[in-house]
Amino acid sequence: MASQKDRAQVEEVTDEVSGKVHLSPCQIACPLGEDIQRSHAMIALLPLDPKETASQIIKIGDEIYDKNPLFPICSYICGLCEKQCNYKDQTGAVRRKMLVRLITKHYLPYLEAKPPLPSPTGERVAVIGGGPGGLMCAYTLSKKGYRVAILERSQELGGALRYIPRYRLSKDIVDATLNNLIRIANIEVKLGAKIGDGGKTLDDLQHEGYRVIFIATGTLSPRPLTIEGKLVKEAELEGVIFGLNLLYEVNCGTVPLYLYKGKKVIVVGGGNVAFDVARTARRLGGDVFLVCLECEDKSSKDGIPADIEEIEGATEEGIRIIYSRGVEEIIGEDGKFKKIKCPRCTSVFDEDGRFNPKFNYGDVIYLEGNVLLVTIGQAPELAFFREEGLLNERGRIDIDQLTLMSNRKGGVFIGGDVRRVGFAAEAMRDGVIAAESIDCYLKGADMKAEREKEYESAAIPKVTNYKPQPKIIWAPVEERLNFEPFEEAFTLEEVIEEARRCLYCGPCKSCKACVALELQPEIPKIEFNKYLCITCGNCVFYCPYSAAKLDSSGVVDFDLASCKACGLCVAMCPAMALDLGNGERERISTLLPKLSAEMEPPKILVFRCQWAVFPPSGGELLPNIRFIDVPCVARVDNFHILEAFRQGIDGVLIAACPGEDCHWVRGSRGAQHSIANLSKQLSQIGFQDRLYFCSVTPRHPEELDRELEQFGQKINAIGSKEG
Amino acid sequence: MIVTTQKPLDEVLDFISPYTNILIAGCDGCTQPPRGLREAKTLSQLLELGGKLRNKTFVFKTTTVAKQCDNCLAASILKPQIDGVEAVLSLACGIGVQTLAEIFPELPVFPTQNTHFMGAEEREAAILEVRCDGCGDCLLAVTGGICPVARCSKGLLNGACGGSKEGKCELDPERDCAWNLIYERLKKVGKLELLKEFRPPRDYQLSGWRVTT
Repeated sequence: MASQKDRAQVEEVTDEVSGKVHLSPCQIACPLGEDIQRSHAMIALLPLDPKETASQIIKIGDEIYDKNPLFPICSYICGLCEKQCNYKDQTGAVRRKMLVRLITKHYLPYLEAKPPLPSPTGERVAVIGGGPGGLMCAYTLSKKGYRVAILERSQELGGALRYIPRYRLSKDIVDATLNNLIRIANIEVKLGAKIGDGGKTLDDLQHEGYRVIFIATGTLSPRPLTIEGKLVKEAELEGVIFGLNLLYEVNCGTVPLYLYKGKKVIVVGGGNVAFDVARTARRLGGDVFLVCLECEDKSSKDGIPADIEEIEGATEEGIRIIYSRGVEEIIGEDGKFKKIKCPRCTSVFDEDGRFNPKFNYGDVIYLEGNVLLVTIGQAPELAFFREEGLLNERGRIDIDQLTLMSNRKGGVFIGGDVRRVGFAAEAMRDGVIAAESIDCYLKGADMKAEREKEYESAAIPKVTNYKPQPKIIWAPVEERLNFEPFEEAFTLEEVIEEARRCLYCGPCKSCKACVALELQPEIPKIEFNKYLCITCGNCVFYCPYSAAKLDSSGVVDFDLASCKACGLCVAMCPAMALDLGNGERERISTLLPKLSAEMEPPKILVFRCQWAVFPPSGGELLPNIRFIDVPCVARVDNFHILEAFRQGIDGVLIAACPGEDCHWVRGSRGAQHSIANLSKQLSQIGFQDRLYFCSVTPRHPEELDRELEQFGQKINAIGSKEG
Repeated sequence: MIVTTQKPLDEVLDFISPYTNILIAGCDGCTQPPRGLREAKTLSQLLELGGKLRNKTFVFKTTTVAKQCDNCLAASILKPQIDGVEAVLSLACGIGVQTLAEIFPELPVFPTQNTHFMGAEEREAAILEVRCDGCGDCLLAVTGGICPVARCSKGLLNGACGGSKEGKCELDPERDCAWNLIYERLKKVGKLELLKEFRPPRDYQLSGWRVTT
């Protein structure tokens, strides 16, 4: 028998026919493959006791950390999962970032004392660049036992993370996360390392004993303004700056607090970084305008790429956005920036989706200002790659896109922004991919085997009413024009509520939170007896996940990728042809006489949903009350209720989640319907009022206590059948 | 499907009160909702509990038949189980009950269901509705697949009466006017001219009482 921990390990669910891996869309979207559904379920089932809650949160954090040691940072800057959430098109994505922020809050203090990984003893690997990509590569390799050194040219780790304004991501979080990562993963760090450009070459590094090198040097060169493919001349004017440089300097603390007070600042660019620059300039006291090629309508092909939250936030802060304008000319006066000439941009992307802006030069405005901050993207610094012969004929970095190994030099791997500018998490994924390739390379294994995976995104379960997305509260504008974070954190209660909003779209086997929490020993598999099946189709109708299927011969098939083993079909099968694989029916059948024997009249048996009554209230068991915990009341079989009465139980209470709150979507409502029918029949034989269905608010065990008390009084009043 | 509803349990208890050993036979055939093994077991449990309150102990055997109205099938399943049985409870429609009564001429066979009509289930709403009257002269080809014989309260053959109101029947405002449904459907498929054809009164003999296979 596998240990509980092994049984709780997530498994990949692969479609037998298509070979695709089934997963929730958020998890497919997460470049680090965080077990999002699992952590949401675990958050939803956090205990009531604050001490236990704290330790459970650390456990959840540990699990996320294993895959993504930078998660505290991601919880402030990422959110790629939210962009793909099935809930997005209903009432808004589940706010994972806010959930993980709560984990972060508890986890960071613990991180300081988190024990390090075993000291690696394997081969030495050099990672050039200490940004998200390099760090993830180093961490993954270190976990595999390699001795890794990060060579970072600047005086601190973090790479592009150090450009993110502090009001979005505080320095404390970056420092704590990175410093502890280095310590925990036993990574050697060489700051101020000079590689290329007269410094060490890759050969030098290989001679020093690094057989393999991962290059993740990021994109250091801001793109200059161009029009019609030609550079816009700026003639070294004072006041024309790359926005990126401003962000870096502000974070280094080398700029005065009110640098732009009384100044008019023009930011060029429409991406999130441009908004970082604009909002930073605003916080430095500037009167800020943002000019971008793109139009206001985000749904258009030429829509502004920045996130809507950034646009709303910037607008609130008084930044004025001038859409659909390019920069044709930068005009100076006495060597200082004076104004820009802005023709109307009529189209940004051409028919083929390529960046190819078109302008109407007859429609021109001039914008005057004291400072021009250019933030229209970054490009990698390729000189080093050229020196090392890592570029192809077209001047691009020549690598295998699957393994990230250079096609020009064995043992050299390249990834992160330098390969393709993207989100931090995407650079981190490159680090993980490179680390896995490096592991294969050093072991002489096939680097490409089983690397390419196709995913099938789980559909949204059909829910009667979708719960509204909670709002994130921002500090009022007058209080937030500084570099303090301004998003109000969710409380523990809000976080749990939001985690419960998650629809857990993905397959159970790739989650297994309930197994990890020991709610059930394993994810059961529906067992189907074709000799009993009468092909009535009840299972097909009741299944909330469209997992049960009838084919032309009438045989029932269960799509294990979508079946969540809620048990509703089992309870509803009129032929009793279905059962839960772990002998659930038999287990409860044998439990009933045992419980009844140890109870005192009036005997009350409670079937309680573990999601509704979580955590169950502690305290001593009353002699006349016993509980049977089920993952969903959908699993409560009429057969067992009647069997309980046969065994001398005087009253049966079913405690379920409120219908709209059912973890298994339809379980609670389905059970309610079937219990109502059974109640009616019971009342015809003199058992009225002895079967009672109630819904209780999760995390409010006192509600069940109250229901139980009232039910107990009623049963007392009608008396014990045995008495 | 043949639509049935469960008889009140005290009525069933009255049927069986003189007996002790009882066989409950489900039917997996066309009863709707399905009255298979689960219903048989549930019924046995309920009747046992009900019996207890009446100080009566029953001994039930539960089984199910693929189609109770098939006398060969029913006999082959039930006869081996009939030893010591004093009465049979059938979960089938009236047809199944009668078949069992023929198979076991010596035994009392009781219905547990009230049989209503040939109908279909609207699952979401948990509603079962009449669809066919077994008239022996199917009109569905010319009425857009909607049967006026079964679904019009008055069984009219030549269009709606004057009581059709906003698509509902004058006899029961909850009931759809079948002729309104037929009109809408024929309009959709572009066959409204079918309504111009006069249909003579129904020949009730066609329904018949016996046909040969």
